[in-house]
Amino acid sequence: MPFRLADGVQVRRESWGLLFYRQPQHKLSFVRSGDWLQPAHFDGTWTLETIADDVSRRTGAPPETLARALPRLASRLLKNGVISDEIR
Amino acid sequence: MKYADWPLSAPVNITWEITRHCNLKCIHCLSDSSVESPCELTFNECRGIVDQLAALKVFEINFGGGEPLLKDYFLPLLRYIHEKGIVTCVSTNGTVLNSETVRFFSGNPLVNVQVSLDGATPEVNDAIRGEGTFRKIISGIGLLYGKDIPLSVNTVVTSLNYHQLDRLKEMAASYGARLRVSRFRPSGRARQSWEALKLEPAQLQELSSWLSGDPSILTGDSFFSISQDGRRQLGLDMCGAARMTACIDPAGDVYPCAFMQSDEFRGGSLREKSFKDIWNNAPAFLRFRRLEPSACRSCPRFDKCRGGCPAVAYFLTRDLDSPDPECLMSWNPEATGAG
Repeated sequence: MPFRLADGVQVRRESWGLLFYRQPQHKLSFVRSGDWLQPAHFDGTWTLETIADDVSRRTGAPPETLARALPRLASRLLKNGVISDEIR
Repeated sequence: MKYADWPLSAPVNITWEITRHCNLKCIHCLSDSSVESPCELTFNECRGIVDQLAALKVFEINFGGGEPLLKDYFLPLLRYIHEKGIVTCVSTNGTVLNSETVRFFSGNPLVNVQVSLDGATPEVNDAIRGEGTFRKIISGIGLLYGKDIPLSVNTVVTSLNYHQLDRLKEMAASYGARLRVSRFRPSGRARQSWEALKLEPAQLQELSSWLSGDPSILTGDSFFSISQDGRRQLGLDMCGAARMTACIDPAGDVYPCAFMQSDEFRGGSLREKSFKDIWNNAPAFLRFRRLEPSACRSCPRFDKCRGGCPAVAYFLTRDLDSPDPECLMSWNPEATGAG
């Protein structure tokens, strides 16, 4: 299932990971993901599996670590209204 | 380490004082606005700055002044900013709104509007913002009401109006708006009115309890020195100057915060340097990021507020190493809820 940024959410790259801005609440979410995640991963075309493949290929991160970490992160971002799994 | 300490490549939001021109002469004006400055930025210069901020992915620009709606190119500038996808908040005194402005704001997903009102009655508001302004401000708020515009009413809390906060909240709600309270700080004309308008410790404590009991009240700026622990979860709880925010003045000079617009805190001019260069390298910005008042370091709440608002401390003591003079811990530690 692909994820996209929720409506009114913007994201930018930082040295420590990704910074999400939720416009309706003027709130921030900090994701300390280092080089793993890119803003493009939330453009609605990537699934957790394809993100994991991409991260593993670029950084050499162990797939089993990604398989544990990414669903937890996605769940937190979904709960906080940062990303959405609804298709536009 | 707190999230707010994580180094950012650019501010999250910018306070942009687009003009010094204002039709009012409020006695607490942070920027001492009245007439336009001789060197204010041109429309083309502003567009160049917006291009830089967009490239840095600054999320939000908060416009103030002066009265931003008096700037002749203000709506075209907003339009240009919105083309870049940047969210804007317009702080207005509410007295110069017209149908064209309201039409522009209406249904615009990138606009938030904040109208300043400093009392729930003409007697209190007009003592601060000027004779006859209460009626004009309410009329302006009425123009915005029901037009699909995210609206807040902003009150700078002073000794004259703190007892009217519940009424101000009700008034705001009656226009579909939320009340935002801002801290009275001794910069600009407020340096002259500080002694007359500042809150006394008992009033600060009352305000602290009131804020703690009502999470619906917005506090856009530095009340963290009097915030009880329960309220700290609601937003930024330490000074964001040079860490998460910066201020651009009407001439394109950049400062860590709108309340710190004096020469020694000037990061540089956007007529001479890029915003990125100032953000990354200006000594004033580097200094602010390291700011930790030594007197606060042994405080049990130090990791939560990092010394409060440097602007209040600086303008009252001329010493950036001083703690926030209005800090709740200094006169009633139990009230902080720190346990």
